[in-house]
Amino acid sequence: MSIDIGKQLYFEDVTVGMDIPSLTKGPMTTPHIMRWSATMENWHKIHYDTPFAVNHDKLPGVLLNGSFKQQWLAQVLKDWVGVNGWVWKLNYQFRAMNLVGEKLTIWGKVTGVRRAPDYGLVDLDIGIVNQEGKESTPGKATVAVPYRGGKPVPYPFVPPKL
Amino acid sequence: MSVLPEAALKYVGVESEEEIAIDPVERGQVRRHAQAIGDEDPIYWAPCEANKRYGGPVAQPFFPIHMFRRAYGTEDPVEANASDPDYDGALKARGGLPEIEPLTHMPVMNGGSEIEFFRLAKHGETVKLKARYASITEKETSKGPIILIVSETDYLTGDGELLARQRHTRIRKPVKK
Repeated sequence: MSIDIGKQLYFEDVTVGMDIPSLTKGPMTTPHIMRWSATMENWHKIHYDTPFAVNHDKLPGVLLNGSFKQQWLAQVLKDWVGVNGWVWKLNYQFRAMNLVGEKLTIWGKVTGVRRAPDYGLVDLDIGIVNQEGKESTPGKATVAVPYRGGKPVPYPFVPPKL
Repeated sequence: MSVLPEAALKYVGVESEEEIAIDPVERGQVRRHAQAIGDEDPIYWAPCEANKRYGGPVAQPFFPIHMFRRAYGTEDPVEANASDPDYDGALKARGGLPEIEPLTHMPVMNGGSEIEFFRLAKHGETVKLKARYASITEKETSKGPIILIVSETDYLTGDGELLARQRHTRIRKPVKK
C-alpha cells in the first residue's frame, strides 16, 4: 500500500492488529550509502571501503548505516499519522546487517491503543525486513493521533499524564 | 575472560559540557538530508500549509542529532590518522563526551536507540546538546563478547526548548586476529 502524504489519520481509524502502509527502499546501492555518509560527514570505512570492511573488520561487505535506517522508521510513521499527529517514541535495535543490493521494507503493526484526554496513543511493533523477509531492525513505537472532530495533537508535543 | 577493561568503567556517569552545533539548521543541509533518505516531504522545503503549525519549514526529526560536526580549528581526524592502517574513519565520541580510551582499538557499530521527539527544529535555529555516559557493560553473544556503551543525550534549541531525548547504544567488538 502506498502512503498518501497529506492524508490525516484519526484515532477512530486505528485498530489493534492492523498493518500500517509500508515504505520500500532500494535495491540499495553504494551511491545511496555514500550520499548518506557524506550528508552526515561520517567517514566510517565500513560503509564504503570494501577491503577494509571485509579484511579488517571481518564484515561480509560494506554496510548500510544504522543512522540511515533509523530515518525510515520515523518517515513511515510520520507519513502515516499525518501532519496533525505526532511521532513520539521510537525504540529499535540494529540486530542484523543490511548490505548493498538489498531491497528493504519498513513496516509497522498496531499492538495497542490508549485514550488520553486530548488525543489517542497508538503503540506499534516496527521494523525493517529485506527481500528475503529477514528482520534487521526490530523495535517499538508510540505515536499520538487526533480524535475525529477533535483538535490536532498539541505542538510542541507534551506527553500525556496517563 | 572479560573483554571489558576496568578502566573503561570510570567513564560511566561522565557528562559533557553543553555543546552548541557548529552551524544552525541550514536549508541546504535539510535538502541534502531529505534527498539522501528519500523523504522529500514539502514540510522541509519552504513555508506551506502543512508546516504552518510548526511555524514554517523544519528539519527531519533525527536532523538535530547529526548537527554536531567538527569545528574550524580543531584536529582533523582524517588527516591525523592518514598513516594508520587501522584507522576506521568512524565518528568516535558522541555529543561532547570524551572518547573511552581503553576501547578505542575495538571496531564500533551502531546498536540502536530509544528516542522521544517533542518538537522539530526550524530552518535557521541553533541546536545544542547535553550528554552523559549512562552505562558500559559486556554481553556475551553467539558471535562472541561485545561491549555496550549507552549514552543519554538531550537535544535542545538555543533557547532551551527540548527537541528530542535519546538513549543511544554503541557496540564495541574485539576483532578476531
